[in-house]
Amino acid sequence: MPLDNVVFWVFAPISVASAIAMLVMRNAVHAALFLIVNFFTIAVMYLLLDAPFLFAVQIIVYAGAIMVLFLFVIMLLGVDRGDDVRERLWGQRWIAGALALAFVLEVGFAVRAAIGLSTRVPGGFDRVNAAGNTQALAKVLFRDYFFPFEVTSVLLIIAAIAAMVLAQRKARAITQAEMDAASAPAGSPAGSPAPEVPA
Amino acid sequence: MRTPIAYFLILSSILFALGTVGVLIRRNALLIFMSVELQLNAVNLTLIAFSRMHNDLNGQVLAFFSMVVAAAEVVVGLAIIVSVYRRRQTVDVDAARDLRW
Amino acid sequence: MVGALGSEVVVAAPATGAMQLLWLIPALPLAVAGVNLFAGRKLGKGAGWLAVLAVLSSFGLAVASVLQLASLPGDARLFIQHGFDWFAVGNFTVAVDLRLDTLSATMILVVTGIGLLIHLYAVGYMEGDPRYGRFFAYLNLFVFFMLMLVLAENYLLLYLGWEGVGLCSYLLIGFWFEKTENANAAKKAFVTTRIGDTAMLIGLALIVAKFGTLDYAAVFGAAGSVLTKGTATTIALLLFAGAVGKSAQIPLHVWLPDAMAGPTPVSALIHAATMVTAGVYLVIRSSVIFEISGTALVVVTVIGLATLLFAGLCAIGQDDIKRVLAYSTISQLGYMFVAAGLRAYTAALFMLVAHAFYKALMFLGAGSVMHGMHEETDMKKMGGLIRRMPVTGWTFVIGALALAGLPPLAGFFAKDQILEIANQTGRQWVYVLGTLGAIISALYIGRLIFLTFFGRARTEEAEHAHESPWVMTIPLLALSLGAAFLGVLVQRSPEGPFSIWAESAVGTPPAGEFGLPVAALSTIAAAISVLTLAATWAIYASGRIDWMALRVRLAPIQRLFANGWYVDDYYSTILVAPGKAAAAFTASVVDAKIIDGAMNGIGVGTRRLASVGRKLQTGYVRTYAAAIFLGGVGILVYLGFRI
Repeated sequence: MPLDNVVFWVFAPISVASAIAMLVMRNAVHAALFLIVNFFTIAVMYLLLDAPFLFAVQIIVYAGAIMVLFLFVIMLLGVDRGDDVRERLWGQRWIAGALALAFVLEVGFAVRAAIGLSTRVPGGFDRVNAAGNTQALAKVLFRDYFFPFEVTSVLLIIAAIAAMVLAQRKARAITQAEMDAASAPAGSPAGSPAPEVPA
Repeated sequence: MRTPIAYFLILSSILFALGTVGVLIRRNALLIFMSVELQLNAVNLTLIAFSRMHNDLNGQVLAFFSMVVAAAEVVVGLAIIVSVYRRRQTVDVDAARDLRW
Repeated sequence: MVGALGSEVVVAAPATGAMQLLWLIPALPLAVAGVNLFAGRKLGKGAGWLAVLAVLSSFGLAVASVLQLASLPGDARLFIQHGFDWFAVGNFTVAVDLRLDTLSATMILVVTGIGLLIHLYAVGYMEGDPRYGRFFAYLNLFVFFMLMLVLAENYLLLYLGWEGVGLCSYLLIGFWFEKTENANAAKKAFVTTRIGDTAMLIGLALIVAKFGTLDYAAVFGAAGSVLTKGTATTIALLLFAGAVGKSAQIPLHVWLPDAMAGPTPVSALIHAATMVTAGVYLVIRSSVIFEISGTALVVVTVIGLATLLFAGLCAIGQDDIKRVLAYSTISQLGYMFVAAGLRAYTAALFMLVAHAFYKALMFLGAGSVMHGMHEETDMKKMGGLIRRMPVTGWTFVIGALALAGLPPLAGFFAKDQILEIANQTGRQWVYVLGTLGAIISALYIGRLIFLTFFGRARTEEAEHAHESPWVMTIPLLALSLGAAFLGVLVQRSPEGPFSIWAESAVGTPPAGEFGLPVAALSTIAAAISVLTLAATWAIYASGRIDWMALRVRLAPIQRLFANGWYVDDYYSTILVAPGKAAAAFTASVVDAKIIDGAMNGIGVGTRRLASVGRKLQTGYVRTYAAAIFLGGVGILVYLGFRI
């Protein structure tokens, strides 16, 4: 049996299963972990599709950075306890399921109509990947897509600044009562809560 | 490669559908966001599959950019969620229903 | 140039002279009316004198123009002044042209002359009224429209004047509109004449359809060749319907007695001397058409006779002095229509002029009486006023005797000539009924003067009545001269100078050889009037007969006459009540429920739709997400089917 078939048929079910698991997990941290599994399987898919560079990038960026960020926030906010099971909106689950099914079927039909369900692509990305996938990708990226590349780097800087601004804790205005309490004798039982400093 | 390319596309569509179901069903904002990431990944998979099909690297470049932008988006999105949590002490999206009939 | 009756007439267009200023005659009152409308309050008393001045100037110009017209040879007495082109629709053009022939010349003299005296009277009568300026504006406006009516050279301009005088009549009858009954009387007048006006408009439309134009010259010239007897009858009857409305003949007479609610100068000018005679003018002017259709003339005569007798009987039963005069006007107009129906146009025209004098005189006199009796109009409360108001009284008596046909006053010649023509052309039934009408006329007018002016004063107010100021008595004197001497001066016989004057416009009266000789007829007429007057004196003023008891014994008949043969009540039940019911139905059901309901329904429906539709905005983000996804899948499905 060809190796890529095996790999595919092993990792595709894992991918789907981990996605479903992510959906049904009550605990947010568990869901995040399953998502990481899913990202790994997708990375393997990339490898099957002759995109080794992206395989690496997927693991580093997505599984390594983005999901870590998610986990930080989940644990920071302490929202890992699950939300309650009862669905408040009438028919929401049925609609979601029906639409998802419709979507998949639709895409399936479209693909079948367009390229057929058993078309195999010719082996090897060789002509394109001549000097190696990374080099070829770099060539395209820094030549044809140079401008979007620069813009994207600006975008990242902006995102970082935005995050810093949004997550900043503002200094609470000190009320008069608090000022009086502060200048009162130190032994007052109420105490004066110190204004929080920006993080 | 012996796997028909259509299988990748169908796999990606299943993942996309699951991501959408997640958006519709979960009430925790973070989990919704994670489902969105799942959707993005499914689309990336589609892009790379087509890139392979057409022997064209542009699909991979596009997927690359998609990842970069998704990263930036996650950063900002999480910052927003944190800030909302600070205000309302909850990340339940159903709690934000003031703008209704 | 074609004159009236289709005869060939040579027009001498004068290069200079008063006739060139013909257009000023209507224009001056119009201008002053405008001034008084806008600046009347500031002018104060001056408004009245300004109005008098306007009419005086018009009268002066009219006299000058007529004198110049008279200097032309007999069959060339026609002058047409082209004003300006009004409008054109396809081939149909209408221009503002003025026509001065002997018929319109007579009319403008009557309108401006008697109008001048009435304006002068009104200066005194309306003194102290808060809307003094506006009254004179309306009065001058009326004079303008009446002059346009008689000077018009085409039917549309005549219709303009026709409608305009109707409007001014409405405004002036309801001048004291604070009292509801005055406003109602004005409405009644307008609506009733409207019925006639609509028929007249249809007649005008028919003329346009047949002739393609409304110009007198063209219509009268071509009438003989274009019109069949049937069409001519239709047109003539439609025009006559308008005349019936405007001149208060049966069955559209009901507005005139109620129109007495207006100020007395209005009653004198509009409802005695000028507006109500517009119908007679119309018939005389359109005589060409009427003569092609013989039937129309018969209809005119019949209605004239019926009105004469009907209204005369009503006049006998009235107690209100002005209402007697109103019914009298209706009755005398009937005489004029009888004359017109007999083709005796000059006799009708002379009766018009004479009637204008003595009826205006009597109305103004009645106003003077009311002035002296503190606005009292019930004759039962008067009596013996001639000693306390001598000028008013004696001038009124002159007018009354003229109406009764006592020789040698103007009325005698007028009436006698009409009856003479009737008798001598073989229409004996017209003669008999006309004579009966003369008896009735003498009866009611004798009753009026003997109850009002002679005998003993029956109430305190009558005891202390006083004469009116000179502005009011001078016109009375002037009019009484006309009423007294007009006949003797210009129309001692049907072929007198007046007839010769008028003939160039209206043709010669029919001559006949039947019946009694002229002298016998005149003697009979004179005798009738003397005897009837003597009888009324005996009943009402001599004190020998208790007329109050007589009245009680004849109560049902008296009430029948007093209530106008209950015609008003019939109209009210048959026409007015259903109309009001229909209006109420339309207002409360159609308008309030259906139309308003539809409008409100749109609002209510929209609100209901909205209250259902807004449930879509649940506030849940996930619902919105589901909706987006649904849309997306939908698009995919659609695209899938297309492939």
